[in-house]
Amino acid sequence: MRRPPAAATRGHIRIEDVVKIYDPAGAAVLAVDHCTLEIEPGEICMIVGPSGCGKTTLLNAIAGFHEITSGRIVMDGEVLCSTEQPQSTPGPDRIVVFQNGALFPWKSNLENVIFGPVMQGKLARKEAVDKGRAMMSDAGLSGVEHNYPGEVSSGMRRRVEIVRALMNDPKVLLLDEPYRALDSLTKSVMHEALLEIYYKNKVTIFFITHDLEEAIFLGHRVAIMTTRPCKPKKVLNVDIPHPRDYGVLTSKRFRELIEETNDAVHEEALKAFQAGEKEG
Amino acid sequence: MEAALRAGAADDAIAVLRDSTPFGDASDALLARIAALARPARYDAGERIYSADDLADDLFVVVSGRVEHVFKPEVHAREAQKRVTRGGVFGWAGLLLGQTRRLATVSATEPTEVLRIETEALVKLLESEPLEGPRVMERFATMIQRDFAVPQSLLAQVRRLSGPLTEEMSSLSLTMYRVSLWLRSPRPYLMLIGFALFLGFWYLAVEVWKLPRFREMPGITAVVKEWFAKSPTYGLSLYTEEYYKHIIVSIWRVTQAFFLATILGVTFGLLLGWSRTFKEYVFPVFEMLRPIPILAWVPLAIVMFIATESAVVYLAFLASFFATALNTMLGVESIDESYIRAADCLGANQWQQFRHVILPGALPFIFTGLQISIGVSWFSLVAAEMVSGQYGLGYVINTSYVMVRYPTIVIGMVTLGMVGYATSALVRLAGDYLMEWRVRELALAER
Amino acid sequence: MSGIGKLLSNRAFWRGVGSIVIFLVLWELGSRSKQWMAPEFFAPFKDLLGTMGFKKDYLPWIGAVPPPSGVLKSWVAVLGQQGYWQSWYMSFFRVMGGFIAAMLIGIPFGLALAVNRVAHGVGFPVFEVLRPIPPLAWVPASIIFWPTQESAIIFITFLGAFYTIVINVLGGARSIDVRYFQAAQSMGSSRWDIFRRVVLPGTLPSIVVGSAVGMGITWEVVVAAEMISGGGSQQAGTGGGLGFFIWNSYVGGSYEQIVVGMISIGIAGFVSSELLRWGGRFVTPWMKVR
Repeated sequence: MRRPPAAATRGHIRIEDVVKIYDPAGAAVLAVDHCTLEIEPGEICMIVGPSGCGKTTLLNAIAGFHEITSGRIVMDGEVLCSTEQPQSTPGPDRIVVFQNGALFPWKSNLENVIFGPVMQGKLARKEAVDKGRAMMSDAGLSGVEHNYPGEVSSGMRRRVEIVRALMNDPKVLLLDEPYRALDSLTKSVMHEALLEIYYKNKVTIFFITHDLEEAIFLGHRVAIMTTRPCKPKKVLNVDIPHPRDYGVLTSKRFRELIEETNDAVHEEALKAFQAGEKEG
Repeated sequence: MEAALRAGAADDAIAVLRDSTPFGDASDALLARIAALARPARYDAGERIYSADDLADDLFVVVSGRVEHVFKPEVHAREAQKRVTRGGVFGWAGLLLGQTRRLATVSATEPTEVLRIETEALVKLLESEPLEGPRVMERFATMIQRDFAVPQSLLAQVRRLSGPLTEEMSSLSLTMYRVSLWLRSPRPYLMLIGFALFLGFWYLAVEVWKLPRFREMPGITAVVKEWFAKSPTYGLSLYTEEYYKHIIVSIWRVTQAFFLATILGVTFGLLLGWSRTFKEYVFPVFEMLRPIPILAWVPLAIVMFIATESAVVYLAFLASFFATALNTMLGVESIDESYIRAADCLGANQWQQFRHVILPGALPFIFTGLQISIGVSWFSLVAAEMVSGQYGLGYVINTSYVMVRYPTIVIGMVTLGMVGYATSALVRLAGDYLMEWRVRELALAER
Repeated sequence: MSGIGKLLSNRAFWRGVGSIVIFLVLWELGSRSKQWMAPEFFAPFKDLLGTMGFKKDYLPWIGAVPPPSGVLKSWVAVLGQQGYWQSWYMSFFRVMGGFIAAMLIGIPFGLALAVNRVAHGVGFPVFEVLRPIPPLAWVPASIIFWPTQESAIIFITFLGAFYTIVINVLGGARSIDVRYFQAAQSMGSSRWDIFRRVVLPGTLPSIVVGSAVGMGITWEVVVAAEMISGGGSQQAGTGGGLGFFIWNSYVGGSYEQIVVGMISIGIAGFVSSELLRWGGRFVTPWMKVR
């Protein structure tokens, strides 16, 4: 297996024995059950599991939107949250790209993109605009700077959102099923676009999906989670070399990997179906 | 000789361009410039003009003959196959953002002559025309949508020309275009029928058939005569100064009430929505006072305020305030949590969150609230004027009744309706101006 | 934990109660300002009030309002009077009459405009033009037109609710997801079937919301209409109703009773809106599932 080159040293995440119970005094729903996972710096780590299994809870805990009940999450040696201090503060070192998109509809695409650095005072407005334009151009988005998000296609919106995140030079990108709502044709284009962006900006990617093919295509490693409560059932090393393109989808190795993992995923999906999980 | 030939060809080119949808209403000067870019080409029957996924360099305007245009399946067009004849434009894929390849395969079905125009050159030309350029692009978008039945996502990619004037012109030309579309539909005529029925019934019921209930009512002819009379029998018409005095008094009162209510109500509502603590303390009292009908306050207001003027404005203010505060609060509460979380991730502090996320996010709701609030304001004002106070349209209606000047009642009512409508349209326009992003979003999602 | 137990331990509940108490205390103090401002100590303050244009003897605005203690006393007294309860009855009667009429006419009208383009083209503009005219502006016209005062007031009430209900029906019908229509058509429904099983139930939630809002407006209108026809103009009519009660109290100089009337109407309006919302849940049982 080829790891990304040593250039990436940031964004090392250790999830240690994390437990999350919702409403401990009432319904006591166990969402995450002693989950331990290690994510290497600069790695694309895909989290696969049926809807509602608790993977978003894990992401929210890393991002700082939810508390954990016990356990620890450490990033680059710094404790994000623990049993003593159950919730971390959200920040630009771990930026989330949301499932339904969270580009501010009242700002133009460019305004969205430069939002982070300008708000933090890291860049003066003019510099931010220049950098923003350049990054958008890199991502194939030149021409839509002054449009509002509502005016461009959803595929484009996702890309703008990723650029918005990358403008802040984050250690980790947290992607919560970002391509779920796109059709499969746009999705395949988006995957290649994401990889291109990744190759230019080495950053750790924590990507949640329910699509096994997407996971194996993109990821260095794929963690298959059990249905609720969530716990890694099987972790797969994807040894297809980077850089990858859509030709990988029909390669022998790809198909072999799917065969290896399909059963595990299907088993969990069946369990979730029988339990009548509502959409997460 | 060459020059004359070329001039003749140029005229033909302009004529064909005029026949096409995108260039149909462009000025002669612009058409001449476009024609200068155009190169004629000719194809035999059965000849392939281009195939899907070829490089999209030129667009084509058909001069004569016929071509068959077949979209590739990935485009998801509602009709894959289309015939294009004189005046039709195809090969416009290059106008779409991020699109460099052909979306369709096109062949001539009979001997065909076209004009080829290099896409990039055309775009540059249109960009240099701040007034007409955007309009032509809009017409391209319309043509693509109407004639080629493509899905919305493709349509959204028609390029917007960048440039300082484009932003304003787009909404203006968009409006003008929609007006012209409206005029071509049956709607204005149905509207006229509706009014004719209504007014006709009024006229017939009161003056011709003299139906039992309607006998006493002022007839439409009496009202119209009075309203337009130079020296009206009852003292109020379009020509009397007093008429306008009443209008201005009412408008001034509503304006005061509305602005006061907006400032206080929006602030209050923002606080209620933003801070849970504040809401827990204050909302119960608010909800206790809200169900009391505004007009139930009339006597108390008269007691509280020494001058009836302030009492009347207070009542209109109160009504507006409740509506505005409530809607603002709902607006803040309805902001999708993802936006707030995204702002957190991106490092915004509380104040920045408020200014860049909460306020703009709540704005649509706030403006809905403001439209309700101005309506409610008028409602309360009229009632208050009818009960107390001098001057004002409510007062006019009431006293006209008391003094048995029936046509004036109707004049008052109609004036009220018009003024009320105008003020609420003003609020709506202000909202559209401040929330251009929403106007564009709604326009694209036209139902 | 029982329902009451939960309520009592809820911090938000106590904060709400606390602020209501503070509100009442401030009100009491403010309205008794005439009494505690009497001593010489306040003279310069009073002069200041005078220069600002207010009355010198008490706090502006709140000083003229009767105190809550007075209101309570008056209310207890009035509870025993038959006239008070009759006012309740009359107002309720008018509200119900107008409201039901508004539903009976408004809902079909709204649905007709929603499903038929021609009807919409003809009817909607006229509707929109008449809508900005406040219902109360129709009072004189209504009195001229209708034979009895009662019917005149009910007509005004009707107008108030009518507009809201129609707008809500239209909005509701328009927002029915087009896929429901497509599903019905693909299953072979006739137009009437589609209307009955897609449009009608689909619009029901909006009708319920529209009714609740319309109910609030109806109360506003009733009160005003009662005040105007009973008080403002020189009608020797029976008047009656809570609006008239308030007006009468004002004319008769018993200010405490004014506030009693105000609170009564507030309660009446709140109760009727809640009843509607509650009834609405029976009509739209599917809305309960979240």
